[in-house]
Amino acid sequence: MEMNAKQHKYGMVIDLDKCTGCGACMVACMSENNVPFKKDESNKRDSITWMRVYKISNGKPYPDADVCYLPRPCMHCEGHDGHSPCVSVCPATATDYSRETGVVSQIYTRCFGCRYCMAACPYHARYFNWWDPVWPDGMEKTLSPNVSPRMRGVVEKCSFCFHRYQLAREKAIYEGRDEVAEDEYQTACAQACPAGAIVFGDLNNPDHQVTRIVEPDPHHHFTGHSKKAFRLLEQLGTNPKVYYTTERQWVRKILGQYNFGSQAAAHGA
Amino acid sequence: MKLDRRSFLSFVIGGAAGTAVTPLPWKLMDDVSIWSQMWPWTPVPPDGAYTYARSTCTLCPGGCGIAVRKVDQRVVKIEGLAGHPVNDGGICPLGLGGPQMLYSPTRVTGPLKRVGPRGEGKWAKISWNEALAEVADKLTQLRDDGHPEQLAIFSGAGQGTFSALLERFMTVYGSPNLVRPATFEDAYGMAVYRMHGQQAVVGFDLENANFVISFGSGVIEGWGSPVRMIRAKSLWKDRKVPLVQVEPRLSNTAAKADRWLPIRPGTEAALALGLAHVILAEGLYDRNFVEYYSNGFEAWRKMVLDGFAPDKVAEITGVSRDYIIVLARDFAKAGAGVAICGRGRGTTPGSLEEAMAVHALNALVGAINRKGGVWALPGNEGIRWPEVEIDETAANGLQRPRLDGAGSGDLVDAGSLPNRFFSAQAEGKADPVKALLVFEANPLFTQPGTETVKKALDRLDLLVSFSSLMDETAAYADLILPNHLYLERYDDVVAGTGLAAKVIGLTQPVVAPRCNTRHAGDVVLALAGAVGGPVADAFAWESFQACLEETLADDWDALSEAGYVVRKIQPAYWFEAFSTASGKFEFAGGYRPVPIEGDKGAFPLVLIPYDGMRIAAGPVANTPFMTKTVGDDVLKRQDVLVEVNPKTAGALGLGEGQAARLSTPRGQARVRIHLSEGIMPGLVAMPRGLGHTAYDDYLAGKGVNVNTLIGPVEDPASGLDAAWGIQAKLAKA
Amino acid sequence: MSTKDDPGHAVSDDAADKKGGATILLFFILGVAASLVIGWGVFPRLLYSTKPQPFNFNHALHNEEVGDCESCHFFREDGTFSGVPTLAQCTDCHEDVMGESEDETIFVEQYVWKEREVPWHVYSRQPDCVFFSHAAHVIKAKMACETCHGDIGTSTRLKPYQENRITGYSRDIWGYSIAGFKTHTYDRMKMDDCAECHEQAVGSVDQAPLTGVVGRHFRQEVVPAIYPPDRQAAAGSSVQTQRDACFVCHK
Repeated sequence: MEMNAKQHKYGMVIDLDKCTGCGACMVACMSENNVPFKKDESNKRDSITWMRVYKISNGKPYPDADVCYLPRPCMHCEGHDGHSPCVSVCPATATDYSRETGVVSQIYTRCFGCRYCMAACPYHARYFNWWDPVWPDGMEKTLSPNVSPRMRGVVEKCSFCFHRYQLAREKAIYEGRDEVAEDEYQTACAQACPAGAIVFGDLNNPDHQVTRIVEPDPHHHFTGHSKKAFRLLEQLGTNPKVYYTTERQWVRKILGQYNFGSQAAAHGA
Repeated sequence: MKLDRRSFLSFVIGGAAGTAVTPLPWKLMDDVSIWSQMWPWTPVPPDGAYTYARSTCTLCPGGCGIAVRKVDQRVVKIEGLAGHPVNDGGICPLGLGGPQMLYSPTRVTGPLKRVGPRGEGKWAKISWNEALAEVADKLTQLRDDGHPEQLAIFSGAGQGTFSALLERFMTVYGSPNLVRPATFEDAYGMAVYRMHGQQAVVGFDLENANFVISFGSGVIEGWGSPVRMIRAKSLWKDRKVPLVQVEPRLSNTAAKADRWLPIRPGTEAALALGLAHVILAEGLYDRNFVEYYSNGFEAWRKMVLDGFAPDKVAEITGVSRDYIIVLARDFAKAGAGVAICGRGRGTTPGSLEEAMAVHALNALVGAINRKGGVWALPGNEGIRWPEVEIDETAANGLQRPRLDGAGSGDLVDAGSLPNRFFSAQAEGKADPVKALLVFEANPLFTQPGTETVKKALDRLDLLVSFSSLMDETAAYADLILPNHLYLERYDDVVAGTGLAAKVIGLTQPVVAPRCNTRHAGDVVLALAGAVGGPVADAFAWESFQACLEETLADDWDALSEAGYVVRKIQPAYWFEAFSTASGKFEFAGGYRPVPIEGDKGAFPLVLIPYDGMRIAAGPVANTPFMTKTVGDDVLKRQDVLVEVNPKTAGALGLGEGQAARLSTPRGQARVRIHLSEGIMPGLVAMPRGLGHTAYDDYLAGKGVNVNTLIGPVEDPASGLDAAWGIQAKLAKA
Repeated sequence: MSTKDDPGHAVSDDAADKKGGATILLFFILGVAASLVIGWGVFPRLLYSTKPQPFNFNHALHNEEVGDCESCHFFREDGTFSGVPTLAQCTDCHEDVMGESEDETIFVEQYVWKEREVPWHVYSRQPDCVFFSHAAHVIKAKMACETCHGDIGTSTRLKPYQENRITGYSRDIWGYSIAGFKTHTYDRMKMDDCAECHEQAVGSVDQAPLTGVVGRHFRQEVVPAIYPPDRQAAAGSSVQTQRDACFVCHK
């Protein structure tokens, strides 16, 4: 495969057997990225959560019931050579795929809110600001200057905390080196996870932990070589960069062939 | 020259043509498009210098180290401190919420005095001098009347220097009524006292265990030190250490466990004894420990063998007889097996006999003070402060019995019995307490039996809250003397409920106090000074910070820099571990389960509360981000959804999402139904932590406070609250 | 009124027509002239409002006294740039009035003693969507400050801050020349100006295909040969535009 030494492909592997469903990743992401919050967030269709933890169950009756939690950030799909579903449809060039990092960017000032990308994304990873975000008096001080707060009418989504990469590169340049080390660029969710279930790194770098776990196979559309790590909706050809591992067969089955309206009920967050 | 329509038109056309070759239209279009992308109400966070400040989180007893990210002097993010012995970089949803608390509109911005009846929410801002004077007046009056014991303190402040300060204050003031919330550690600690003969702090060396049985403990739902436990669970997964979760509901812990053992609620102690039966009958116990280091084994053994055969236990608990045998064998043969208890987060103490049964099970497999087992650790060395000199008033006061009865008569081993405190205060025979100071606690919300707590507070002359945020107790108080938030103050945190290590963390101010608040420690010093006499003399420090620095003198530098110190501890060997009359471990205990409240006829179902990581149920309440993570199968708009087995719901004609009326002998509430195959038929499960009435619209009015539906049930053996649920009924709304 | 042709009337019709045509032309020309005057003269003046800085700051004097630029405009240890100095940096020297100028008196009395940050109008303030790394440009690309900021270091007076009334940004960003002509590199700093330089540094990748066999050849053979090593990955990193990807300059 053409591997330009400096071409990164940032990705993630999530261990569904370690994920406890605590939601720390969700809160860390929202805190890091100036995600707004409303008084009533129980309608999950308009609740903006870049990282969302879904709950799936095996559909069996008591006492054989089992549940599994599934954290789902943006998949940063590569498609074929950078043609993510959302990037391909955006009429405003508000979203873009970078070959240098593998990250799908979302630029709020270009977006005019047609939501075509939301229709295109099969993972429901994109969220729309139906209303202007409102921060209670004083809480606007918690906003980080590294991420742009959004206005109503634009779509937002997980960015793999790209602002952290930008800051890490600045530090690297200041210290006279070009490369960003594995522990210098970690997403907020991977950093916060108390169970260590989320592992983030450069899938192009064989030394990074994520690559060691996933072993992406370039000859087979970057599926996990050992078949231990799988991706969601593989059959759609989105070539996503978030892999999952689990030893539970019922979870693999549901996620490998995800059917709407099947026995397994999926609840948002 | 006539100005007619044609001329005018040609003028306009000329103007248009000319305009097109000026920058005006193009520049205007460009500028307007920029203007429309940057509405003035969209905040632009100011940039600045990025720094990280270390501190220790105090939002739960876990004691995690945190790194607080600041932009200039604004706190923008909290992250787990990498390398910290408790959490090593991990953090929980509540810990992440610090910034939202610091800048919350529900902050109490300065001392407040109630105007109008309690709970109405009308306040007058007063100065600190006025506030201190009012409290000092009452304190002085009680001593002058010769009844200093009519002052009580309710404190959730942990085991650090501030707690020691409160104890010292109460001693020299002359009141025995220092009440702490009680948890499973109190019940387990009393079990250890009965069986080891010493007051001990209990730790569990879970990282080194190779088989874990959890009797309802929320291993990944906040039991013990939450992040430490979640890390331990991941460690067990990597090392293939089996976890067996014994509880009636498919909690997240049960789902993550290697085996979920559904059990009839309240019968967990019988299961523990049933496992002991198999271990005894098949001789799988640690012979060395039993023969050389234990006493009372024969009598106890007989009791177990006679009454707790697997058949019998299967009948009592609903767990299969065959599995009881298999589990007992696996547990005993593992070599480093350990059993833990304390339902959910462990905030309800539970029955003493249940704790003794679990501890006996641990003893049987030699897990006492063993690597991977349960450790009885010496309590705090006791801070070395100069001795207090108490006067006659104080001496008299201290001789009177505590209102909660702890420390005397039958309850001589108990340290603090909050359930008894509130019921005695509300309607007991003894004289009620007149003044109550509440620190780091919110009993009007967190104590089971809310109505009793309210009645108790109503009998006070003076209720003072030191809360930083307007919680339920503060909203009901006469005076609020707001403490700095943890991010604004110094404190020491003796970390980690249940840790098998001693970690002391330093909470440091990362920002200057935002509001007109004062460190509660400084306020206590000021009050002592105002009361005067020997009370004032006992406190030589000019500030709490000075007191803290002096107390932590040897460790201060290390604490200030790293944020924590670790004191390695080695639990005592068996030959020196026990201070009973026999000098050995005493096997003791039986099975007399404490029944829950309610007539089964009128209330045929059972309501059990449950804990989770996304809803904080303690004195610190949910931040808006946390509430956002709560699923729509738990909270829908303002309604809480209770978990009910489809069979139970079906029999009542209730479907998914349907509104219903949940009633218990203590109260009733409107709920919605969530059908779940993860709960035993006949049970109704409700999350703790919802149903706030104080705070703001981001939290208040959502769901039901389970403590208004469930009250405490006293364990006759310990005086502690052993209620694990209450009889209930569901009907269509 | 008669319908019969009247020779006198015809003559006056022609004259009237010629007069009407001239009038129309005249008004047309008037219209053009008026709009040109408004568009080129009045509009630029109206569009920008001049806001005075809180007081004057003499860069030349301070350069002389302090000796370098880095004492006030420096890189922090994490690689970020300090930008406009904060009060804390000035009070190192200016605890009290040091000189005799009125500006310094204003500074010390209104700001130092009252512990108020000076509300400077920042000429180079970019919209919130922009991520600009000083480290990448100053340290890595070794660009001179003047290229983007103009020659501020030798000035004795702060230049007037002209703010675009519609967008709220400085004229330094939006272009001194209303027509958009640049005589200096620092006359305008909008996205296209950054892109101009980025394109030149990297070389235009517009013509080159980047997918398929030819694309692979381009990336594996051509890119290493003609692009500087540290730009190879970013060369045409954007799938949409084949130039720099959005997150290079945006956040």
